[in-house]
Amino acid sequence: MEGGRTSLAVTVGPVLAALTVLCLAPLGVLFVYSFFHVDFVSIVPDLSLQNYAKVLTSGAYRYLILKALLNGAVIAAIAVVIAYPVAFFIAKRIRVVKAALLTALLIPLYTGDLVRIFAWRLILGREGVLNSFLIWTGLIDRPIEALLFSPMATTLVLVYNYLPFMVLGLWLSFEALDDHLFEAAADLGAGRTTILVRLVLPLTAPGLVAGALMVFALVVGDFLTPQLIGGASGVTVIGAIADLFGAAFDWPLGSAIAWTLLAAMVAVVAAVVVLLRRTPWGNVMFGGG
Amino acid sequence: MTDAAASPTALREGNHAPLLVGRGVHKRYGAVHAVRGVDFALSTDRYVTLLGPSGCGKTTILRMIGGFETVTGGSIELDGQPLLDTPPSQRPVNTVFQSYALFPHLSVAENVAFGLTLRRRGRTETAERVSQALQMVRMESMGERRPRELSGGQQQRVALARAIINRPRLLLLDEPLSALDRKMRKEMQIELKDLQRRLGLAFLHVTHDQEEAFALSDLIIVMNHGVIEQQGDPETIYRRPANAYVADFIGGSNLVEGQVVERAAGVATLETPFGRAHAPCAPGVAAGRRASLCLRPEQLVIGREGSLGGIVRHTVFQGADWLVEVAAGSAVLRVRCSDEAAPAIGGAVSLGYEPSKAWIADGALPRDVV
Repeated sequence: MEGGRTSLAVTVGPVLAALTVLCLAPLGVLFVYSFFHVDFVSIVPDLSLQNYAKVLTSGAYRYLILKALLNGAVIAAIAVVIAYPVAFFIAKRIRVVKAALLTALLIPLYTGDLVRIFAWRLILGREGVLNSFLIWTGLIDRPIEALLFSPMATTLVLVYNYLPFMVLGLWLSFEALDDHLFEAAADLGAGRTTILVRLVLPLTAPGLVAGALMVFALVVGDFLTPQLIGGASGVTVIGAIADLFGAAFDWPLGSAIAWTLLAAMVAVVAAVVVLLRRTPWGNVMFGGG
Repeated sequence: MTDAAASPTALREGNHAPLLVGRGVHKRYGAVHAVRGVDFALSTDRYVTLLGPSGCGKTTILRMIGGFETVTGGSIELDGQPLLDTPPSQRPVNTVFQSYALFPHLSVAENVAFGLTLRRRGRTETAERVSQALQMVRMESMGERRPRELSGGQQQRVALARAIINRPRLLLLDEPLSALDRKMRKEMQIELKDLQRRLGLAFLHVTHDQEEAFALSDLIIVMNHGVIEQQGDPETIYRRPANAYVADFIGGSNLVEGQVVERAAGVATLETPFGRAHAPCAPGVAAGRRASLCLRPEQLVIGREGSLGGIVRHTVFQGADWLVEVAAGSAVLRVRCSDEAAPAIGGAVSLGYEPSKAWIADGALPRDVV
């Protein structure tokens, strides 16, 4: 017993310590800063809620936070729709080149953010690959400006960036699905649609939800892609926070926005979890009876 | 070897209407010929086992009947209607899978109700039939549990209840007891047989365990390498194996190989290393062919005047009697000896048997097995 407790401390201890120091401590510092305020060039440690009041009353910040959450949700939804069949095929229909496909899926992640973003700019830009091709085919006679620096371009590149996370989560769920379950359902009289709705969806729901939440969080936190691809439409709340910590030198307000955003994200995730618990899928995901 | 299989005994049983008839059924997976033209017939209300070693094609046959494998050649009819164009979901056949394949996200009751909900039965009827089915397998108190909270035996019962709730014409069982421990397996065998009797339903049960087949079956179909070696009731399979393969797979018998000298009126004369033997023989046995004299340990008697002489090599105390291994020539014969004391190891004994109770099966085992 004693030995078991020691080894638990040894194995979990460092992880807990690292999490505390590297993750929670900075957040704690931010949290404390969010109650301070800036007086000309110095941060004054007087506790007040004025920063939060500013965030909640300012239309611009509210809009940016809502935009970030909505954007995260939309990208996650698009990623689900694309990734679901892809994950199914990789897990259930492909045998020989499975490892190669999964590696290919991850290759974009090996390259840096900026490299990927500039690659897309080369494709979508005014003189880019796509416009040149369309002009060459004669379909258009002037470059389409909206290919780059538009919300659509941002959406496209964000989906591309975070799709692998969605596919991986779903792929694991599909791998864990026992094919005999499908046979058993068909044996009992279920058609394809019934099998999809009553078996496949609920049983892959854990991977789907995990992947979607991951994509959601990553998209909300990504400000480089909207800034470099979205042009004028690419203003994000994270970008605003970065400005406040940089040029604008208002760390307390930046901290307050960051914490408001975090709270909003936690609220969204909590709402998703609570809603899902009420569905028949809840049993699979949260184990309860 | 297939001569014996060509005229399925079940086809000739007059008082049972054929429920399922397979004719010349083939299955190929690329270069592998898993099922090589088998004929079989199952009657309503009977317990049939498909018995054979792993890879013999028995599970493939089951899956073709269930609709999970396509058929490469031949036909399968159910109640006189061709079955093969019907998708699995429309076949009046249900399966108990080897892995049980219970839906992990549904409760026991929801698992059992699955088939009924697809048929849009009313809420009350569904609940009633679910509780009946659970009662049938003695699981009525477990309806709210999840499959992962059940033991292997309990999961097995749920799988059974789920499969019978649609009242199929035929229940397919794919090695249903293989995941259970020995004691549980024995109990479930009795329950399966009892359930089959109470439901009056045809069961087709795939197994590699000959004891299980004997315990359960009205009809045993013995398979090897994609062909049916023999089909018949358990007593016939045990006492009158068609060929050396069946005799060996069923187990127990000593096989003495020899050349058939002549055959007349169902009795053959076999030239063996121990002299000539006269005994009733299987249909395929004919003069000039190789055949095997089957002597079960309980048929051999030590000390009686006989042509078989040998040296006692080993004795095993088995409680009620002794199992004595006698080395005779190149063969080792197992003899059941009910004397108080076993013969001394190393001593010479002679063995006798009643020729009319012995049996000559067609063919011989490959050398290295003997």
